[in-house]
Amino acid sequence: MEVKYERIAGNSRHYYLALAAFAAVGLAGVLCTFWVLGQGLWVTGMYNRVPWGLQIVMAIYYIGLSAGSLVISGLYGVFGKLEYKPFARTAVYLGMLFMIAGLLSILTDQGRMDRVFVQPFVHFNLLSLFSINPMLYISYILICIVYLYALFRDKKKLTRVVATLAFAWAFGVHSGTGAIFGFGPRTLYDSPLLPASFVVAAMASGTGLMIALLVALFRLTRRHLDDELVFGLGRLLALFVLVVLYFLAVENLYLVYQVEWRAAALYYLFGGFHSVIFWVGLIGLGCAVPLFLLFYPRTSKSIPWVVTAGCLVVLGVLCERYVIVIPGLTRPPEIFPGMEVSGPGLIEGVASYAPTLVEFCQALGVLGIIGFLFLAGLKVFKLLPAEARIAKQAGPAS
Amino acid sequence: MNETPQSSRSVLFLAVPALILLLPFAYSLVAYVAGADTAAARPFLEKPDPKYRNCVRETAYMRFHHWELLRTVREEVVRQGKPSETGLKQCKNCHTSRERFCNQCHNAVTLNPDCFGCHYYP
Amino acid sequence: MDRREFLTAGGGLLLAGAAGTYAVRLLTQAGAVEAVTAGRHRWGMVVDLRKCRPDCTACLEACRLENNTASVGDARWDVHWIRKVHVKPKNGGAERSVVLLCNHCDHPPCAQVCPVQATYKRADGIVIVDHHRCIGCRYCMIACPYNARYFNFKESEEWPNKEFPKRSHGVAESCTLCAHLLDVGKKPACVQACERAQAGALVVGDLNDPQSEISRLVSENSVKRLREDLGTEPKVYYIGL
Repeated sequence: MEVKYERIAGNSRHYYLALAAFAAVGLAGVLCTFWVLGQGLWVTGMYNRVPWGLQIVMAIYYIGLSAGSLVISGLYGVFGKLEYKPFARTAVYLGMLFMIAGLLSILTDQGRMDRVFVQPFVHFNLLSLFSINPMLYISYILICIVYLYALFRDKKKLTRVVATLAFAWAFGVHSGTGAIFGFGPRTLYDSPLLPASFVVAAMASGTGLMIALLVALFRLTRRHLDDELVFGLGRLLALFVLVVLYFLAVENLYLVYQVEWRAAALYYLFGGFHSVIFWVGLIGLGCAVPLFLLFYPRTSKSIPWVVTAGCLVVLGVLCERYVIVIPGLTRPPEIFPGMEVSGPGLIEGVASYAPTLVEFCQALGVLGIIGFLFLAGLKVFKLLPAEARIAKQAGPAS
Repeated sequence: MNETPQSSRSVLFLAVPALILLLPFAYSLVAYVAGADTAAARPFLEKPDPKYRNCVRETAYMRFHHWELLRTVREEVVRQGKPSETGLKQCKNCHTSRERFCNQCHNAVTLNPDCFGCHYYP
Repeated sequence: MDRREFLTAGGGLLLAGAAGTYAVRLLTQAGAVEAVTAGRHRWGMVVDLRKCRPDCTACLEACRLENNTASVGDARWDVHWIRKVHVKPKNGGAERSVVLLCNHCDHPPCAQVCPVQATYKRADGIVIVDHHRCIGCRYCMIACPYNARYFNFKESEEWPNKEFPKRSHGVAESCTLCAHLLDVGKKPACVQACERAQAGALVVGDLNDPQSEISRLVSENSVKRLREDLGTEPKVYYIGL
């Protein structure tokens, strides 16, 4: 199927305004990071009991989003579904940008950012997931670059090979990211299911984002987008959300059912502000409502509703990343099982975490940088297709 | 309005960012030339008390490689547990003032080593 | 093949060779996480809770003054390498105070997860951080099951012990068992303070030496370690827990 890709004209006032807005937000984030570098991490909401916060949540979130974008391109590259070929370049480009965003988020979270560029590469620790994962992330970006090369030069065989490699690599990357938590000794982290559920949630969020983004992009640039393509992605999204729900159910029922973990489970489900985020943000808005929208006949065949479902899943998975990271830290580790521990200072007992303005600024700054790169990429590279139609005639692929 | 021809537009596209990138170097050059005669540019390293006869290494080596020596010693002391006579802690036995010795050269080249944030040196 | 294919192939081979060499170098380095302790000291600690007075804070103060731990006046960012907690059984029982510190495990989870091997176990069993290498990722703090690790969120302006470095912001740390004192044959600050306070509840010694006081205490008393079920093999033994 011949797809004609083209650059967007990108000379409207709105385009330049959007570009400038993203650049400004990105710059604000960079300045914020410099300030944090000088002051120390005490200006964030993190402290000795909750050493990981919003930046890590956003890092794993962006890494997850990069998988999902790759799923869309994988539909064409791996599974040969020609009707999704028009989206392939945009999807891979966005996937690469989100991985860069993830790396940037991790980078800005380190206590000694200057050392991060040297030490993890010179003194590698095979037993540490934090050492293996950045290698996976960087090689993932390199694979995306080769993938883009294959797509741009329309090399079919190379595309097939790299797309499959990228797909497999995405599984590795996201399982590794999930394993940072899943293979950890905190009660609410420790779960062999976490790598798998991380992969699926990543795909759900990426698909949701692509649905919303593609519809918006095609509409804004007045390109034709066959509704059926969006509905197809919507069905895929529904499948992913169902699997996410399944994993969540199994993980939490396991914790609740076992006497040993029941206290931890009840804390997770009902014990704090994170529980609101879990039930309302993740289960309600992130899974239940989108599933309804994607299955109910009237809304599942309506573009605005499918886009809404996509956006809700994007929000829901952000909530999921939050409840992966934070409750495990706010709940105190069981140093003395069966005992109540209290002490001076804030080290013992249940902790609380609230991100500060600085952290929001940094998180938005990362978003600004990749938003800028994406918008600029639309104008510099031929990413968007002239139109996205399902081929009328069935036949051998051209 | 005349259309700027394609070739001069590409030149502008390259020239403007190049000029912006060269600005810091230009500033450094001007600052160096302007400050070449001032006191800050002529470091005066206070000599230690003559009773200390043994220098760690010859002056030329220390001037250019003292940081390499310190780094090697650091690796040995911290990670291999070998005690050492020539670490940062022992420097101040002979060179008693950071201001009159270390900072003289470091300030002249605007160098801010990380060490003194953690290691006390009067 | 033509010139372009030759150059591409050559470049690819070069890249593959470089990547391969790097990979081999990385993988052969990985064994440096835990070191063998045969034939050397093996430092451990015994905390005798029967002798520890609940209201005494001598060890806490001494540790801070010896090691320059960050004391910024805010409980969120104050670093306490050694701390005292109150422990009360959930189903009724008396409340007791327990001294907690880094357990210097034989299988330290913190050293396992450090991405740059900044946290490592010395040959004599002390788990220590190389502050020149730490990137401040705080994964070790997540991994420690005893909550014994801290991060320098905010730098302290005080420098009580100028003979010992203080940490600037951005690196993780935990109790070093006063390795700098043990290395020159002295006792850790907390042990000295406890002796001065006429309690003698803290004893640090060489577990490899059957004649040392700590070996005697461990073999003669009913000792317990924290979370022995985790398999971390901590080397801080509690009497009367």
